[in-house]
Amino acid sequence: MLIPWRYRKRENSFIQSFDPRAWLIFYICFLFSALAFWDMRFLLPFFAGALFVLFTSGVKWHEIRRAFLFIVGFVFFFAVLTFLTGRGGVEHYTEEHLIHRFQASFSILGWVPALDITVERIVYALSQFLRVGSMAIMTILIPYSLNPALYGITFKGLGLNDKFAYAMDLTMRFIPTFARDFQLTVDAQRARGYELEKFSGGLIEQVRKMGPIFVPVVIHAIIGSEDIIDAMDLRAFGIGPRTWIDVLERKRRDRILIRFGVALLVISLALGILGYGGFWVPEAFLQLAGG
Amino acid sequence: MPNLPLVVENLSFRYRDRQETAIRNISFEAKPGDVLLIAGASGCGKTTLIRCINGLIPRSYKGEMTGSVRVFGEDTSTWKLAQISQKIGTVLQDPERQILGTKVLNEVAFGLENLGLPREEILERVDEALRLLKIFHLRERETFTLSGGEKQKVALAGVLAMRPSILLLDEPLASLDPASALDALDTARFLADQGMTILMVEHRVEDVLRIQPERVMFMSGGEIRYLGSLSGLSKVVNYREVKLRAEEIVERAKQDPPPAEIRILPGAAGKGESEALVKFEDVAFGYESDVEVLHGINLEIRRGDVIAVLGPNGAGKTTFVKHAIGLLKPKKGRVLVNGRDTREASVAQIASTLGYVFQSPSHMLFAPTVREELSFGPKNLHHSKEQIEQEVKEALRIVNLSDKEQDPPLALSFGQQKRVSIAAILAMQSRILVMDEPTAGQDYQNYMNFMDSILQLPSFEAILFITHDVDLAVIYANRVLIVNDGRLIADGKPQDVLRDFDQLKANRLVPTSLLALNLERFPATGRFMRAEALAHI
Repeated sequence: MLIPWRYRKRENSFIQSFDPRAWLIFYICFLFSALAFWDMRFLLPFFAGALFVLFTSGVKWHEIRRAFLFIVGFVFFFAVLTFLTGRGGVEHYTEEHLIHRFQASFSILGWVPALDITVERIVYALSQFLRVGSMAIMTILIPYSLNPALYGITFKGLGLNDKFAYAMDLTMRFIPTFARDFQLTVDAQRARGYELEKFSGGLIEQVRKMGPIFVPVVIHAIIGSEDIIDAMDLRAFGIGPRTWIDVLERKRRDRILIRFGVALLVISLALGILGYGGFWVPEAFLQLAGG
Repeated sequence: MPNLPLVVENLSFRYRDRQETAIRNISFEAKPGDVLLIAGASGCGKTTLIRCINGLIPRSYKGEMTGSVRVFGEDTSTWKLAQISQKIGTVLQDPERQILGTKVLNEVAFGLENLGLPREEILERVDEALRLLKIFHLRERETFTLSGGEKQKVALAGVLAMRPSILLLDEPLASLDPASALDALDTARFLADQGMTILMVEHRVEDVLRIQPERVMFMSGGEIRYLGSLSGLSKVVNYREVKLRAEEIVERAKQDPPPAEIRILPGAAGKGESEALVKFEDVAFGYESDVEVLHGINLEIRRGDVIAVLGPNGAGKTTFVKHAIGLLKPKKGRVLVNGRDTREASVAQIASTLGYVFQSPSHMLFAPTVREELSFGPKNLHHSKEQIEQEVKEALRIVNLSDKEQDPPLALSFGQQKRVSIAAILAMQSRILVMDEPTAGQDYQNYMNFMDSILQLPSFEAILFITHDVDLAVIYANRVLIVNDGRLIADGKPQDVLRDFDQLKANRLVPTSLLALNLERFPATGRFMRAEALAHI
C-alpha cells in the first residue's frame, strides 16, 4: 500500500492557506526566477522569502529535521567543494583576487599542491548557497504541506489528463513508500547478520555487497506496481474520462499569488536578458585582497 | 434454465512462462445468494481460478485459456475489464495491495470516479456502502492509519460501491485477528442473504464453516476434487489437509493410529530451564517522540519457553518483538539478550543468538537460488563451509523445500517464499527463534508439518511466535502472552490464559472448537493437545 508524506492540516499555515494549484504554479515560477540570478543582492530576497515560507508553514522542526539537515548539508557540501576546487564559477569570473594561498611543503612529480582563497570563490560559494538553499527550502515544504488526497485533482487542475494526473499522484506517494520498504529490507537483512557498516573492498565489490538490499527493494517495488495496476484495472481505471470527487476552489488570494509568481518570473527573466543579476562581487570584499 | 450469475465451463489455463496447466477442466455454477467456499493447498489453482473469473486472466496475466466464464448468460471473454468489474467485484488477499486512495472516501469512490458517474451519485453510493458495512465513521480517515480489519472493510466497500452481482474474496481472513475475521464472515453472509453471489477462497476452512456456505469446492493439483454440500466435505478430504472442526477430526482420527508424540525443544531439556535468555525491563517505546506505543513491558523469555503472542491487529506485537533483536531500542527501560543490553550490541551480534523471521518474505529474498539465500545468514555469522552445507540441507528438509534448492526464491509462490524465509533463519542455528505470523498465507498441512519440525529441533532453547491462530497457541505453546494497546495483558500457561473467554473477547480473540474441547477434557488430559491426539484419550 502506498503511504503518504507526513502531511497534516496546520493552523495559520501561510502555504496551506492557498489552493495547491496556485502554490505549485508559484513554486515553479519561484524556482525558475531564482535560477536567473547569481547576484547576491538579487538572491537574498529569494532566500528571505523561502525562510518566511518556512517559518510560517507550521511545520515542526522535528518533522523535517532529517530531510532538512540532509539537503542543507548537501548544498553546503557542494558549495564548499566548489570553493575548494575553484571549479564551477569560472564561467562567471575571469579574474580572481587572492586573499591567501595555502601551499604544501612538498611536491608530487613537480606539482606543488596549493589552495587559493580568493574573493571570487568566497562570493561564488555564498551565492550558490543562497540560490540552491532557497530552492531547497521551498521544495522540502511541499510534501509536508500539500494534502495527499488532493494530489490527483491538483495535477488535473494544472492541465494534465486523468491518467497522467493519477500517475503523478501515485508517484508522489511512491517516494515515502520506497523509503519505508528500504528500511524494512535493511532491518530484515540485519536480522540475518548483515552489516552495512562493515563494507570493505573496491567500489564494484561494495556495490555487489549492496545486492541483499537493492534486489528485494527493487523487486518489491515492481511487485507493488503490478498490484497497483491490477487493483486499478479491477476498478475500471482508464476506460474514459473520470469524475474527481474532490473539488478545488480558487479564491482571490490564489489568483493574486499566481499573478505575483508569473510577474516575478517575467521580471527575473527580463532582468537576466538585459544583463542584470549576473555574478557580482561586493567592493568591500575586494578590500580583503588588498583592493 | 434462467441465466445464473456465474457459470464456469471446462475452464483450463496455463501461464505463458510455465509448462504445466494451473487449472484443468473446472466446471461449476453459482446461484444468487450462494456462498461458495473454495479450499485447497497452496498452489492448487484457487487464485488462478479467481483471476479467470475476474478477467485479470488473460488480460493482465497472459497464457493459454480454454473453456468459458459466463455471467448472467453472457460469455465474458469479449468483455473489457471495466465491464467485468461492474458485474464482478474482487477483494484481493491482502487489502494493503488493493487500497489506492489516501483517504477512505477517495478509496471507496475510486471505481465510481473511473466510471465517470456524477459527483452527487458517487457520494451517495460511497455513503451507502460505508453504512452497509457499518464503517461510516471511517469516511474521513487516512487509509494508512486503519487497522487490518478496517482496511479489509474499506477495500470491500470500494468494491460494493460499484454494485457488483458477484463478489470474489481471495483469502479475506489471512491477515485478520479472529474477531475481525468473524466480522468479515458475517458481512459476507449478510451480502449473500441480500442476493449477492459470493466466491470465497480461504485456507481457514473451520472459520468459514461458521457462516454455513451453501457449497464447498475443494481443489487439488488444479482440478476440482470435491464440489458439493458442506456435510460431504469432511468425508472426502483428509483431516490433515484441511482444518475441520475439532469434533470431526476426533471422530475421524479414532480410526487412525495415534499421532507420534512431539518432543518440544529437546535442546533445552536439562540445561536449567529457569534461566532468562531475554529480559524486558519496564520497556516503553514510541515511533514519534510524543506518542508511546509500548508501555512498561516486563517479561522474561526463559529456556524451554514456547511462547505464543496473541492480540488484535495493531496491538504492538511486532513492535514488541523487534526490541528483542535490537531493531528497535527502548525509549525507557532496557532489553537484555543473554545478559547484554541491546543498546550495546549490534543487530548482527544479537542475530547469532536470536533468529527473527519477518512477516513478509519479499523484504528479504534476493539470491539467485534458494540454496544461496539460505547460506547468506550463516555466512554472515562466519559459519564454516561444511557447517553451512549441513544447515541449509536441514532447513530445507524442515520446510519441505528440498526439491527447490536450485530454484530462484523470487519465482516461488507466496507460501513457498514464506517457508524459504523461515528456512533462512533456521539455517543460522540461533538459540532463540522469533517468528512473526509464520503461518499466514500457508495451507494447513504445510504449516502444521513445519511447526512440528521446528519445535523438535535440538538447536533452539526457546521459541516465540506471533499469531492470530488461537489453535496454534493451543497445540504448540507452553506459554501465552496477550498484547493489546502496547501493554502485556496476560502472561501464563495456555490452560490458564485461554480459559478466560471474557478476556479473549476483550482482546479480539475467539475461542475455537479445539480450545473448547481441550478445556472440556483438561481434567483428564492435564494439558492441551491437538485433536488427533485427543481422539485417543
